[in-house]
Amino acid sequence: MTEEEDEVGFDEDLDDGAGGADGNHGKRKRLFSKELRCMMYGFGDDQNPYTESVDILEDLVIEFVTEMTHKAMSIGRQGRVQVEDIVFLIRKDPRKFARVKDLLTMNEELKRARKAFDEANYGS
Amino acid sequence: MADPARIKTESNSEKSLAARESPKTEDIEEVPVTSDADTESKDPSSQSLKQDSVAGDDEDEGTSDQPASKKLKVEPEKKKEKRQKVDEDEIQKMQVLVSSFSEEQLNRYEMYRRSAFPKAAIKRLIQSITGSSVSQNVVIAMSGISKVFAGEIVEEALDVCEKWGDTPPLQPKHMREAVRRLKSREQIPNTKHKNILFH
Repeated sequence: MTEEEDEVGFDEDLDDGAGGADGNHGKRKRLFSKELRCMMYGFGDDQNPYTESVDILEDLVIEFVTEMTHKAMSIGRQGRVQVEDIVFLIRKDPRKFARVKDLLTMNEELKRARKAFDEANYGS
Repeated sequence: MADPARIKTESNSEKSLAARESPKTEDIEEVPVTSDADTESKDPSSQSLKQDSVAGDDEDEGTSDQPASKKLKVEPEKKKEKRQKVDEDEIQKMQVLVSSFSEEQLNRYEMYRRSAFPKAAIKRLIQSITGSSVSQNVVIAMSGISKVFAGEIVEEALDVCEKWGDTPPLQPKHMREAVRRLKSREQIPNTKHKNILFH
């Protein structure tokens, strides 16, 4: 039955701005359905969130990534997206800023640990 | 390891104290319980901090006759020690908290920590917009803040849901109201609307 798809399309049209001005988001294949379900449960929703809510959230996330990418392209080195640009755009939001700093720091630590581990393996 | 979490139940002092880590609250019913635990656990940590600063004052008095460069070298180390001690306190508190979780809370916490956006899809999305390749760090940063963003929306939607007297599975109307609220707080980036300054 295509009922569910019609409902999703209906919601997209009624959506005031969250899905973006064009109504094409309903036609695009869903990129993050599984991960978003787990995420919503982790953040406090029911164990089985509604598909329509997951779809709305996916559209919002895609729009967020798109906006951030466009903004990052317009500052710093034009036409490219670099980490410094993202950090600059996020600077006013304490949560996101702290999260990005933590992620990048942990990534560096992991890289260093892996490198040390590999060298330890090769050396005799 | 630090995690973004519900800031709603915390006071501003805790937010500034440990901007990256704050104890997480699970269901809406759990909020009062954990907020009490927060205020209780905050006092001993603030006491230990006061002790540190008192000890620091004594040390400052002792080194006041030493050259300024030496004092500058000592201070970042003191701050680092203080920060490490605060980290250890936080880690201990988290361990105590997690050890007292029920099965359902453990499941939810596991989902909260483990869920993530697939790096490949995010990379594909960013590259389709820029047209050129992006570094791995960009993908890591973008996935991280997208997860925080999704969390903010879900938390706001849960607030709306509770306020309207509904029950969990979140409905689209809650999500839309949450987006509307976040937009008014400018937490949702929107470059489509142009502010015309002199009309």
